[in-house]
Amino acid sequence: MVKKVILILLLGGLISWQTAFPQEQINIDVKEKVLSNGMQILVVENHVAPVFSTIVRFKVGAVDEHTGITGISHLLEHMLFKGTKIFGTRDFAVEKPLMRQMDVLADSLEQEKAKLRNPLAGGSEDRVKALRQQIADIQAEQAKYIIKDELWETYLKNGGDGLNASTGTNGTQYYVSLPSNRLELWTFMEADRLANLQLREFYSERDVVREERRQRTETTPRGAVQEAMSAAAHWASPYRWNVIGWGSDLDNMSRSDVEKHFRTYYSPSNAIACIVGDVKPEEVFALCEKYFGAIPVSPLPPPVLTDDAPQKGERRVEVEFDASPIAAVGWHMPQAGHPDMAPLDVLSDILSRGRTSRFYKNIVEKKLGRASAGISFSRYPDLFTMNITPMGNHTIDEVLAAAFAEIERLKTELVAQWEIDKVRNQADADFIRSLNSNGGIAWRLADMQATVGNWHYIIDYRDEIKRVTAEDIMRVTQKYLTKGNRTVVTLVKPEPDAVGGAPADAGQ
Amino acid sequence: MKKAYTLITVLALLLSLSLPAAAQESEGAKIIAGLPHPDLKWSVPEVGKDVQRVQLDNGMILYMMEDNRLPLVNVSVLVRCGTAYVPLEQMAIPDMTTAVMRTGGTTHVSPDSLNALLESIGGTLETFTGYDNSSATLNVMSKDTELGIRLLADVLRNPAFPEDKIDLKKTDVKTDIKRRNDNPSGILSREFYHLIYGDFPRGRILEWQYAKPITRRELVDYHQRYFAPNNVMIGITGKFDSKMMVEMVKQYFGDWKKKAVAIPQIPQAPETPRPGVFIVEKDINQANIRFGHLGVNRDNPDRYAISVMNYILGGGSFTSRISSKVRSDEGLSYSVATRYQVDEVDQGVFFAYCFTKSNTTHKAMQLMLDEVNRIRQGEVSDEELKSAKDSYINSYVFEFTTPAQIVSQLMGLEFNQRPPDLLRDYIDNVRKVTKKDVLRVAQKYLRPESLTFVVVGNPKNFDLPLDDFGKVTSIELKEPVLD
Repeated sequence: MVKKVILILLLGGLISWQTAFPQEQINIDVKEKVLSNGMQILVVENHVAPVFSTIVRFKVGAVDEHTGITGISHLLEHMLFKGTKIFGTRDFAVEKPLMRQMDVLADSLEQEKAKLRNPLAGGSEDRVKALRQQIADIQAEQAKYIIKDELWETYLKNGGDGLNASTGTNGTQYYVSLPSNRLELWTFMEADRLANLQLREFYSERDVVREERRQRTETTPRGAVQEAMSAAAHWASPYRWNVIGWGSDLDNMSRSDVEKHFRTYYSPSNAIACIVGDVKPEEVFALCEKYFGAIPVSPLPPPVLTDDAPQKGERRVEVEFDASPIAAVGWHMPQAGHPDMAPLDVLSDILSRGRTSRFYKNIVEKKLGRASAGISFSRYPDLFTMNITPMGNHTIDEVLAAAFAEIERLKTELVAQWEIDKVRNQADADFIRSLNSNGGIAWRLADMQATVGNWHYIIDYRDEIKRVTAEDIMRVTQKYLTKGNRTVVTLVKPEPDAVGGAPADAGQ
Repeated sequence: MKKAYTLITVLALLLSLSLPAAAQESEGAKIIAGLPHPDLKWSVPEVGKDVQRVQLDNGMILYMMEDNRLPLVNVSVLVRCGTAYVPLEQMAIPDMTTAVMRTGGTTHVSPDSLNALLESIGGTLETFTGYDNSSATLNVMSKDTELGIRLLADVLRNPAFPEDKIDLKKTDVKTDIKRRNDNPSGILSREFYHLIYGDFPRGRILEWQYAKPITRRELVDYHQRYFAPNNVMIGITGKFDSKMMVEMVKQYFGDWKKKAVAIPQIPQAPETPRPGVFIVEKDINQANIRFGHLGVNRDNPDRYAISVMNYILGGGSFTSRISSKVRSDEGLSYSVATRYQVDEVDQGVFFAYCFTKSNTTHKAMQLMLDEVNRIRQGEVSDEELKSAKDSYINSYVFEFTTPAQIVSQLMGLEFNQRPPDLLRDYIDNVRKVTKKDVLRVAQKYLRPESLTFVVVGNPKNFDLPLDDFGKVTSIELKEPVLD
């Protein structure tokens, strides 16, 4: 009875797609300009309210790091709020030599700490303490000249909304929305921090990020699983570490490491600014040329060349954590721009998006667990991931078995046309909704421009999604979602009577 | 080592305050002062001018604002009901009701059909339970407006509440209860509110014993009691013709019969603070800290001064005193701030929070407490006051940047029975706040002597015992009973 109703209505849905869902012609009128130093500016007008949203995006993230400086892109992002030669300081000329002195001491400290780690090298605890004290003394001296968080405060005082920044594996972005009479202020402030950045209050900020790591990764079950997944699935690729970086790298990173990273990756030719809202493109371009354009040209940063070799065999990792069991599965998949991206994207939605999805019907509604699947739209080959949370008293193995059975079914049975149609329509609706806010437009454009080098790919990719067939989905499932290509991470409660084991960081 | 640094910084700050104003300014600040700041042409949107308001014969109130940029229609519905209005043993009913209204389909459309219809058009329809309101949202493409409105009306008016979907929701609730001790931040928030409000609605902890026995009949009754047109407001924005929209809403909601809805009084939590330190032991390497006390309600005339005071104390992100000290100076925490709720129908709370490694727990708590004390001891500086007020005033335009936001603000004003001029007068009210007001409200509405401290973490690794802050009580994390 219920089944019958479904069939009729699904058909209804199908008809409505074919007859009543003409491709919505949505135009985004993007004005583009490349400044003389290579920086790209994208502008979209929207005069609904007297405000504008901005993103400045740099093509640098955790994937551009190497062991020893993991987490540096994110730490650098924090440092971009610490002022410049003309902001955050009462007297830069006095501050500058103090920071140099600290760098020299920090180098000695790092060497001394390295000696301490080797039991035979004769390192001295007292010497480490003394060096730390000297650094703290200079920092205290410098503090007299610092105007705390001036960049941040200036934005807030001027009505800044949504002021923040974020770092991912693929990119780093800075955002703020402002009333439309603050356009020149924004251009001036953003260009200034690219031209005149000063890494003051570095050591305390490094500690802040170390706390962020404890908060996000070390004390939450999903964080612990996520970190284990990246490290187990990627043997060679720098997607191996998470954005936050390894704790020991954060503990030992130096100011000069961060400065070098800034010089390498924050060149104007590696930057994209996107401005959306109550602005005139000509005015934006003129101001950008005036302020950003004055920053000298510098070479493009190096590409990432390290790749994972094809995975040969399933990898299983267990993480002990004081929480109820959860699991994650990752399969290697290709990078953005690859023709298999769109079929994998549609596949992930068929599996787990919404209440008609296969996981919802066959795992959630059967009260086995919660399950979601998703792609990575990354600059280099990354993972297709699945997250599992058992419901009630069901075990990880039961939920994993159910999810894997759904995936196996896709290798032998073509998905129904209505499933593909609904995903297309959802993707279309998502796309249009993302254009509903200034911030949403700015994000979509900057992200696509940075990831594949062409913002227009947001339109092309939508077309790729529309061309995906049932055969494509079967093919990519067979090709990527195999046992030998997957890594399974499970989080388990430690045995209550376990003794010994690795010493835990007691937060000291 | 760190101590010396702290002392010198405080000294530096005091010194700098005694310098003439010009010497404090950065070169950048001087340049910015010279940049053009043309006037912003803007005013707070109004009903009857920017937004239409229509009341149907059955009492349902409709707010509308056309927005022709994109072929979208967004609908948001407010219903006066929620967790505030039910007794403890019925606390699971409101959320179970709204959840199954959506997942369970209607007397006309099966759950599978409802899902298939919505997803085939890329639309979404969701229902939520809040504290003193419940809500529904509908997002569809303009061409699907009628289908969307029809389904929305059906879900609100004729939910079927099938047993299997009630069971599914119960399993979901049970899973959440089972997992409620997995994340330290969740434990912190739950225990804090429970200590402040006890078993009053804001402090309740959902136990399986409350959810398990709920029957279909109880969900039907709850729905019957509150879902009536005269207890519903609906806000619509997007690409449509207003005249046609009114007709369409009348078509699908017009024959919904008006009836008497008795809204119970929200029980007021008594002022019986539980000062002291409550430690929830969990073997993690970071202490999750929160301390606070009961605050004010939204009718308090000091709400603007309280907000400005809180901004300076810990609400104004990096610019605030607590963040500047604990995060920026000392590097002790990534998330550290204070909140002072001033928008609650009953009494909200004041609280400060921070996450810091185990062996700086006491130190971070002391630094935060010092700032709570300091803002009660002397007037804030002119710069601090101006910075806070400028931020509130200049960013106010962002409360009204999209038609959906505008309708939500204006409809919310009526739903919450607020004074009609509240939004229009906001900027003036912020502007009026003085340094004297800030000191006065800090002394009146911050009560360091009656703070409840909650810490989730491993006390074996704390730098110092926490009994400096009050009598220490241990809260044991029990496995929830799930039989």
